[in-house]
Amino acid sequence: MPGRPRSGRESTVPSTSAASRHLGVAGESASADLGELLSRVARGDEAAFGAVYDRLGAAVFGLARRVIRDPARAEEVAQEVFLQVWQTAARFDPERGRAKSWVMTLAHRRAVDAVRHDQAATNRERSYDWSSGPDYDEVNETVTVRLEHEQVRRCMDGLTDLQREAINLAYYQGYTYAECATVLDANPSTIKTRMRDGLVRLRDCLGVEP
Amino acid sequence: MSVDLHQLIAPYALDALEADDRSRFEAHLALCEQCRVELVGFLSTTARLGEAEAMTPPPELRERLLATVSSTPQERPVVTALSQRSRARQIAPRVALIAAVAAAVVGIGGFIAEHERADDLRADRSRLTAVMSAPDAATTAESAAGGGELRVIASSTHDAAVVVGASLSNLDVDQTYQVWRLRDGKPTSVGLLGRGPGMLYVDGIKDADAFAVTVEPSGGSPQPTSDPIVATPI
Repeated sequence: MPGRPRSGRESTVPSTSAASRHLGVAGESASADLGELLSRVARGDEAAFGAVYDRLGAAVFGLARRVIRDPARAEEVAQEVFLQVWQTAARFDPERGRAKSWVMTLAHRRAVDAVRHDQAATNRERSYDWSSGPDYDEVNETVTVRLEHEQVRRCMDGLTDLQREAINLAYYQGYTYAECATVLDANPSTIKTRMRDGLVRLRDCLGVEP
Repeated sequence: MSVDLHQLIAPYALDALEADDRSRFEAHLALCEQCRVELVGFLSTTARLGEAEAMTPPPELRERLLATVSSTPQERPVVTALSQRSRARQIAPRVALIAAVAAAVVGIGGFIAEHERADDLRADRSRLTAVMSAPDAATTAESAAGGGELRVIASSTHDAAVVVGASLSNLDVDQTYQVWRLRDGKPTSVGLLGRGPGMLYVDGIKDADAFAVTVEPSGGSPQPTSDPIVATPI
């Protein structure tokens, strides 16, 4: 349990830690803290906001960088995401989702919107890139993140080609499923199914609670 | 048709839907408990895909953010759509505010509220589903000033529409979003969305050209008292 907020109104706010804890993802033992931090952010606690940033700043920026590629634009998007966290933290309900997912979902939605907007006028076919993004070993320093990266890569390798390519294009490149179908020369309903099968496999491989 | 909607769950979790499919799927989520449960697991999975790309941001970003938030106001919590629902019925009895489905658009990124009174709303939901899944249902959307957007899913065969105020900013307690049906530029009230995101079922769209949203004093106004924050043609 992190430090309690200093506000006298605290007794009116139900504790969210129990709910957050049991919703925690395997290997994410500190998730209760993040849920609690978000509810403090919702009450205007700037120190808690700083702590949320310290926990998720690299994940949000890294995801934005991966999807958008342009570092300056990714930084803008990361800033928008955290401002949105600050402004709308009251909307997060730990009983209806997991804190980290909530922030990462905001981040992904914004990154995808940015890349679709930015690329609308360019030839996306030509800029289409099958590589795995920036050279990971150069930019990533912590052991934890490197292990996570390796685990995700290993689990992605366990997918069929079509599952992996569809998920890669959608999640990391911001393609709609219809665009994925065009690029992969497959039926759109096949792509929907492969995405779902692939997510189920990834979920199980990563040890995420179903 | 609902089987078809259900298959959008993976593209939804991956943000791989266009806006109209996204709206339809979010409406479907309000009706589908199994989808909501499955989505929690999928979004935790995609969050892991994102985390695996973590990269230290430039240090100035933290400083800039902390400086910015100290002067940035926050949304206040939305208490519930239920009180707004009863008020909306008094003012515009033809319009049912679908609280359970409205809850579906309150959360960002698909965090879906389950409404305790969901059973009471089953009849409303079936009308809603009928419009959403009509073969001729067409979606239009416009961005609202101040954030969010107004999506209209209209079906001529049902002569009805579902009007969704998605991700609208929360208003002060003494204000409400009011939805207007426009015919030849003349507004007629169709109901209130409340202080934040919400959804309305609207009967009778034959002569309507567009829907618009204004910010009004709590309880609504007989005629708009401010310029629309958004107008979406049908």
